[in-house]
Amino acid sequence: MINRTSIIKQPDKISFFNDVYKLQKRYQDALISGKSNTSFIWLGEHQLCYTFGRGSNMSNLLFSLDEQDIFKIDRGGEVTCHMPGQLVTYLILDLNNFNKDLNWYLRKIEKIIIKVLGSFNINCSTKKGFTGVWIGERKIASIGIGCKRWVTIHGFSINVDCKLENFDRIVPCGIEGCKMANMSDYAKNLDIKEVKKIVKKFIQEDFNFNYVSE
Amino acid sequence: MSHEIFMPALSSTMTEGKIVEWLKNPGDKVERGESVLVVESDKADMDVESFQDGYLAAVLMPAGSTAPVGETIGLIVENEDEIAPIQEQNKGKHTEGSSSDQLELPNKNSEIKEEKQKEVPQIKEQVVEVRKEKVLTLSKEIQLNASTSNNSSRVIASPKAKKLASTMGVDLAKVHGSGPHGRIQADDVLKANGQPVSIPWIGEGSSSASIATSSAHVQAESKSETLGNSFGKPGETVQFNTLQKAVNKNMESSLNVPCFRVGYSIDTDKLDNFYKKVKQNGVTMTALLVKAVAKTLKKHPQVNSSFSENGISYPENINIAVAVAMEDGGLITPVLKEPCNTDLFELSREWKDLVKRSRAKQLEPDEYSTGTFTLSNLGMFGVDRFDAILPPGTGAILAIASSKPTVVANNDGSISVKKIMQVNLTADHRVIYGADGASFLKDLSSLIENEPETLVS
Repeated sequence: MINRTSIIKQPDKISFFNDVYKLQKRYQDALISGKSNTSFIWLGEHQLCYTFGRGSNMSNLLFSLDEQDIFKIDRGGEVTCHMPGQLVTYLILDLNNFNKDLNWYLRKIEKIIIKVLGSFNINCSTKKGFTGVWIGERKIASIGIGCKRWVTIHGFSINVDCKLENFDRIVPCGIEGCKMANMSDYAKNLDIKEVKKIVKKFIQEDFNFNYVSE
Repeated sequence: MSHEIFMPALSSTMTEGKIVEWLKNPGDKVERGESVLVVESDKADMDVESFQDGYLAAVLMPAGSTAPVGETIGLIVENEDEIAPIQEQNKGKHTEGSSSDQLELPNKNSEIKEEKQKEVPQIKEQVVEVRKEKVLTLSKEIQLNASTSNNSSRVIASPKAKKLASTMGVDLAKVHGSGPHGRIQADDVLKANGQPVSIPWIGEGSSSASIATSSAHVQAESKSETLGNSFGKPGETVQFNTLQKAVNKNMESSLNVPCFRVGYSIDTDKLDNFYKKVKQNGVTMTALLVKAVAKTLKKHPQVNSSFSENGISYPENINIAVAVAMEDGGLITPVLKEPCNTDLFELSREWKDLVKRSRAKQLEPDEYSTGTFTLSNLGMFGVDRFDAILPPGTGAILAIASSKPTVVANNDGSISVKKIMQVNLTADHRVIYGADGASFLKDLSSLIENEPETLVS
């Protein structure tokens, strides 16, 4: 019997990146070792920080490295940036229970993001060869996944209403000249709590989850 | 005993992966389940772990390089004293080509090599081939270490076969290869290990197995171990099983249907080439043919129709049933629903799942009874043509024969050798007329001959 139970955590306060990273690791390790069979979903916001994938090219960081709040983590993709006003969603789940196919997983996440934005009447799309969700030439959501024994870690971030200037200090996702967008540029009176709710709902529907709190 | 680390498939559409980082250095101790390296595909990273306790003895592909799925990229040994000899062998390889560029080259050329291109290779390519050979013999020798046999000749095996051999502990040097030029296939390893070989009944069309060369053919023929199917002993009469009875009923009911046949010869050169490319992503020939037929049926709804008391019945969907022979008698027709709406890779997965569950007799009724058009493929037996009996409730069935090299007179008067596959449509003349069938076949042929790559989506 496949366990579709998922623990969900959605703090309202701003969370420190490293704390949540450790939390993700703990749930991933528990799934890998078989100690637990529940998935884990986290939705929230981070303080301003920059993260790298393991294959990241350091030249995409346009400032010197001695600052704090720079993390090198076990996900794919290039450098990105998190900050308040950006909704970050992490999914720790065992793809053995779904589809052992990372391409399938990435495309599924893109579809979820498109549905989320669609429910705020924002039209967006995917771009072949450029994982993430785009409004024309502007990127509104980024994806970065890590995986060990088909148990995933990390996830995606949607720019709801954040200071996009922070992206000016990097080459987001390693795409030269990549412009970012906020949901608030396209929808009025946005509340990140509402977006959170919708993200939660579509993840539940698409992965057929049964949510429980810790 | 050494164990190979392979480039894993992170998705069904992935053909090669990039090594992001080696988390261990040669000589490092590794524990079972510990991550050894990181492979990347798109925006997703995957940790590749060791499946046994031991030591990382050799890194065959450096960080930053790209390797095809299934390629050996590293070696793990169980004991510390095994590291030195392997590193010694590895050194030789590294002096010949240590930069990542050079290491990548042999793989890019491996395809060319396997096809044994007759064209005179450039000197550079020759060098590369020699290197590749070194790498191959290196990994082979390491495997031979485990056994007493010390066969110095090269062993050629498919990545899947290598993987199976290493997990089952089968010595590849002792396995008889049934593939082209004696290449060892996964089935050969299974056979050598005394395991049942997946029976070639299913339409995994060598109708275009593309690389079945004549030498491989002769080999297959000279082996008399494949006996024909029989359910009883000489002198016995064996009762029909339920499935056989059901088939009998269906076949008899076709006698009340005024059927006609129409055939076509299709050039499969392009299809074969395309299949070669996508095969490693898990695409099956059945899925390709189903996709081609479904796409053509979309343009020819008449051929998807069937007879009913009230008139010509046009189904809402295009569902392709594919005949699968059962080991213990009878046949079943698992249905691929709406192939036009499913991409080729998903379709191939669905088909593999259906076949697996057919054999285990786990199909739900709507998975074998909702076909609107049927395919029957006997290509894997090398038949040049046959005709099929129309299943009740449908208007047409397509019989697919083997694709064979054939001397062809072209429109411009020139002569060439092309792989030709004969297909034969059996149709109910009450609803499908000769012209309907013929124009359907014309379009099917044109799709397969000219734009097989459009079958992807």
